[in-house]
Amino acid sequence: MSIFKKEKGARNYLTNREIKEIARANAKEMKRLEAYKNRKCEESEFLTEMRDPENILEIEDLHTFFFTEQGVVKAVNGVSYDVPKNAVVGVVGESGCGKSVTSMSVMRLIQGPAGQIVDGSIRFKAYDYKRDEKGSPVANSEGGYEMEEKVYDIAKMPISEIHRIRGKQIAMIFQEPMTSLNPVFTIGEQLDEVTMIHVPGATKEMAKAKSEEMLRLVGIIPENVYGAFPHELSGGMRQRVMIAMALAAEPRLIIADEPTTALDVTIQAQILDLLQDIKNKIDGSILLITHDLGVIAEMADYVVVMYAGKVIEKGTVYEIFQDPKHPYTIGLQKSKPTMNLDDGTELYNIPGNVPNPINMPNYCYFKERCAKCTAKCSGEYPGMVQVSPTHFVACHLYDEEKSNG
Amino acid sequence: MDELNNVQAEPETVDTEVPLDKNVRLMSPTRMVVRRFFRSKLSILGLIMVVSLFLFSFVGPLLYTQWGEIELDESGKTEYAISETSYTVDGQTYTLRQTTEKYLKDNFLALPSAEHLLGTDNEGYDIFVRLMYGGRISLTVSFIAVFLITILGVILGGIAGYFGGWIDNLIMRICDVLMCLPGVPILLIISTILDASDIDAKYRIYLLMIYLTFISWTGTARLVRGQILSLREQEYMVAAEAMGYSTGRKIFKHLIPNVMPQLIVQMSLSLGSMILYEATLSYLNLGVKAPYAAWGSMINIISTNQDILQNHLNVWVPAGVCIVIAVLGFNFVGDGLRDALDPKARR
Amino acid sequence: MADTKENVTPVYDDAALAAEYQAKRQAQIEEDLKKPFDPDCLLEVRHLRKCFPMKKTFTGKVTKELVAVDDVSFKLKAGETIGIVGESGCGKTTTGRAILKLHEPTAGQIIFNGQDITHFDSKQMRSIRKEMQIIFQDPYSSLPPRDTVGGILSEPVEVHGIVPKEQVKDYVLELMDKCGLRDYYFERYPHEFSGGQRQRICIARALSVNPKLVICDEPVSALDVSIQAQIINLLKKLQREMNLAYVFISHDLSVVKFISDKILVMYLGAVMEFGTKEDIFRNPLHPYTKALFSAVPNPDPTAKTERIKLEGDIPSPANPPKGCRFHTRCPYAKEICKHVTPEYKEYGEGHFAACHLLEE
Repeated sequence: MSIFKKEKGARNYLTNREIKEIARANAKEMKRLEAYKNRKCEESEFLTEMRDPENILEIEDLHTFFFTEQGVVKAVNGVSYDVPKNAVVGVVGESGCGKSVTSMSVMRLIQGPAGQIVDGSIRFKAYDYKRDEKGSPVANSEGGYEMEEKVYDIAKMPISEIHRIRGKQIAMIFQEPMTSLNPVFTIGEQLDEVTMIHVPGATKEMAKAKSEEMLRLVGIIPENVYGAFPHELSGGMRQRVMIAMALAAEPRLIIADEPTTALDVTIQAQILDLLQDIKNKIDGSILLITHDLGVIAEMADYVVVMYAGKVIEKGTVYEIFQDPKHPYTIGLQKSKPTMNLDDGTELYNIPGNVPNPINMPNYCYFKERCAKCTAKCSGEYPGMVQVSPTHFVACHLYDEEKSNG
Repeated sequence: MDELNNVQAEPETVDTEVPLDKNVRLMSPTRMVVRRFFRSKLSILGLIMVVSLFLFSFVGPLLYTQWGEIELDESGKTEYAISETSYTVDGQTYTLRQTTEKYLKDNFLALPSAEHLLGTDNEGYDIFVRLMYGGRISLTVSFIAVFLITILGVILGGIAGYFGGWIDNLIMRICDVLMCLPGVPILLIISTILDASDIDAKYRIYLLMIYLTFISWTGTARLVRGQILSLREQEYMVAAEAMGYSTGRKIFKHLIPNVMPQLIVQMSLSLGSMILYEATLSYLNLGVKAPYAAWGSMINIISTNQDILQNHLNVWVPAGVCIVIAVLGFNFVGDGLRDALDPKARR
Repeated sequence: MADTKENVTPVYDDAALAAEYQAKRQAQIEEDLKKPFDPDCLLEVRHLRKCFPMKKTFTGKVTKELVAVDDVSFKLKAGETIGIVGESGCGKTTTGRAILKLHEPTAGQIIFNGQDITHFDSKQMRSIRKEMQIIFQDPYSSLPPRDTVGGILSEPVEVHGIVPKEQVKDYVLELMDKCGLRDYYFERYPHEFSGGQRQRICIARALSVNPKLVICDEPVSALDVSIQAQIINLLKKLQREMNLAYVFISHDLSVVKFISDKILVMYLGAVMEFGTKEDIFRNPLHPYTKALFSAVPNPDPTAKTERIKLEGDIPSPANPPKGCRFHTRCPYAKEICKHVTPEYKEYGEGHFAACHLLEE
């Protein structure tokens, strides 16, 4: 832009000194956390107890940060929620709200050294091998291994022990069915591999039988697909295969990260039906992450609403959709266009953008976009207020209710 | 329908700025690149190597004027030769040692001293000074070659990538043919022709490098073509088309600037290989001819006398070190630039 | 076709039926193309067809074609919006780009502002480019990364000489204000912005040349719900202020509803149904339209909607099914659907559909 004079202050860039300071602070933190992640330790160090034995997963005060050159991005900043046994928990929020980072933290798939779990705990009730003092599995009398239920704190596990839960105890379904399958192996080979890895002593025949059973479960005729390569299948079929793969190891928890976002509406409807169906057939919980309120309403039992790295509201699906409390939840539901022709011509919208994740203010992050904000909102970040036994909201509007009773 | 379209209320906020947004502070794009470049220790090392070579070759001769490039040290040198003759008289063996003193005009193969920092070569030229002049030749020649290669490559690759069709086919097939040509044998032939046609020893290396340019632009052209093919699919190029911009504006304002990062990387990497080429040519006595200096021909001295290879390391090792420094330096800088300019490498 | 109905078990001769249909349609098209242009319309698309070559012989002769758009027609008045809805591979994007002549149409006519622009060459097109603009889906790849916002927005203004050179900056700042962009963004680079703000920049760029028609190619699909609503409202506001006509392409019926006057439903390159927004929403005729409606997840946990389930996948547009394209997935498909291409007919004033079930 040569014809315009550069205006002073038009750009708001970091100075060289600030960049150096950030880099120095980051390097120190990253080194410490990386060392913690790679340490060797006894099993007892990451064994813990559940707060509520009915839960399969408890995330408490989780902090996952990304140490970037521009500053620390607090992608997950004190998130707590529970996943009960045999339930579907939906996490909803806009891009950058930290919903995916939370689930990646559970799987410990955060890319280091920049991304690190800084604080908090992720308690997961696993059904794993009983181990002796040396850490090797205890054999039982029938030639197999003895199993027991134990609670791991995933956040404290060294990365070398993660194989105990990844894939076997917790499986993941990704958004992009096009890139989540390896293009050089057949569907059958990839499915068999899951069984071969996670079931000790599995034979090829066992694995194949298991794979075919899984394919039938997701509504695919195995004969047509078992020997096919991923590129021969359509997006919807691939997503079915991904679901079959996730189910093959009989995990206790399935994390579905935007499982239908990349699909067409009519295919999305098929996959949602399938997930509904599977939810009743398997003995496990589903953590469903999506930005689509419609999908959440159809699938979930419990809903967690996230905004800018924090949980702002959580409750049962009826509470969230019929009696939303937080202005953001209300606004989100209003701004979703419905199929009803009679609801006016102007779409309700929440003004503004999601704040920049670096240098978050210390007051409510939604204050700038909130129509109901009061003087109190400039104060410190609101704490979680309980409005019903299962319904929690982080908003100053409901502070009084709490104090009143 | 009119009813439906009636405006019920002005949208509350069209202007949706969040004051928080003002606090957003990022790094400027230039600074980001500079920072990423200097984060790698190897690229810093490479930069130091390259810069010091430049200073040595171009500024050095201005400061160190004790000797010229083709100035012989005529201070003279006395060579002593000892000859032994033995003969037997009455069963007794006698040895006759005879020392001959020979005075030579040139001070050749002198050891390093204050006079000659790295000694002199077999002719009596100062090695240190010739290293500087050799560097000048090497660097200049390779810069010119890389510059020409880039221009040719951008133009031809750009045309092939942007217009496609038969012209793309034609240019790419020419590339294929050029890539089949065996470089060194043809260089030998050209060199012989140049020998026969009596061309000034100073300029023949330039002619050879022009030939090298002619066969080396294919790599750059392919790179540019590939980049343009992928950039053309970007929606901002479709937007430029929909805006009705002229072809020239589309190519030079929107396409070429986006190919620049890859081009710069390619240029710095090919500088290294051009220096190697130049050294090879000079070593084979095809490039810079005596009495002018080049790093390659300075190493070539070892082929004249076995003794130098073993006993006069100061004659040929420094030139070799210079070549290594130059090639490594350019490659380090190139790798550093690639990491710095690649937006995906955000580690 | 009359004799096939008389038979109790109709035996279909596919080749003959296809030929008959083809001939009939060809005659209709030729007749339509000769009609005079509608002077009230800003844009008239008549029997637009776009094929992409798939296989070529060595000499460049095309042996296999992909029919991306097959026979699309509609009219659009200034200040109106037409919504094009369909799933991936239905040809909605190709239609949009063919109207702008970013793809050369294979057959049919595009009449813009009373001119037949179908056969304009690139030089002639350049002069009317500023009248018709496009907004893309991906706000990340549609802005050049190495230019500032000010540069991106003033370039088209300068190239087309919209205002004198010394007024360019004021003009751009005014435009930015109109699109909800702060003036201090002028010197910033696209990578500093979020998706919603980038989409605003794209809108500002498209409007910088004062177009009459804007093709919106899935402009809100990549955005978050709360930002989607902002952008839709912005588009509606700008339409009122500048009397713009939109061709709004989307896969999401609920979004199209808010902005469109007429809706065109496409499937595998062909039009399934066309009508006003009220027609389509209150009285959808085609089974595909109905299925699209019921496939959208309902954000109300208490509502238990009965879904029209569509079995199977979308067939490849390179190899569309014979007869009615939708018959492989249609829950109501009959024998005739597999063989005979249904006629695109008017079933109510301005409400068109192509389905055999409606003919009875």
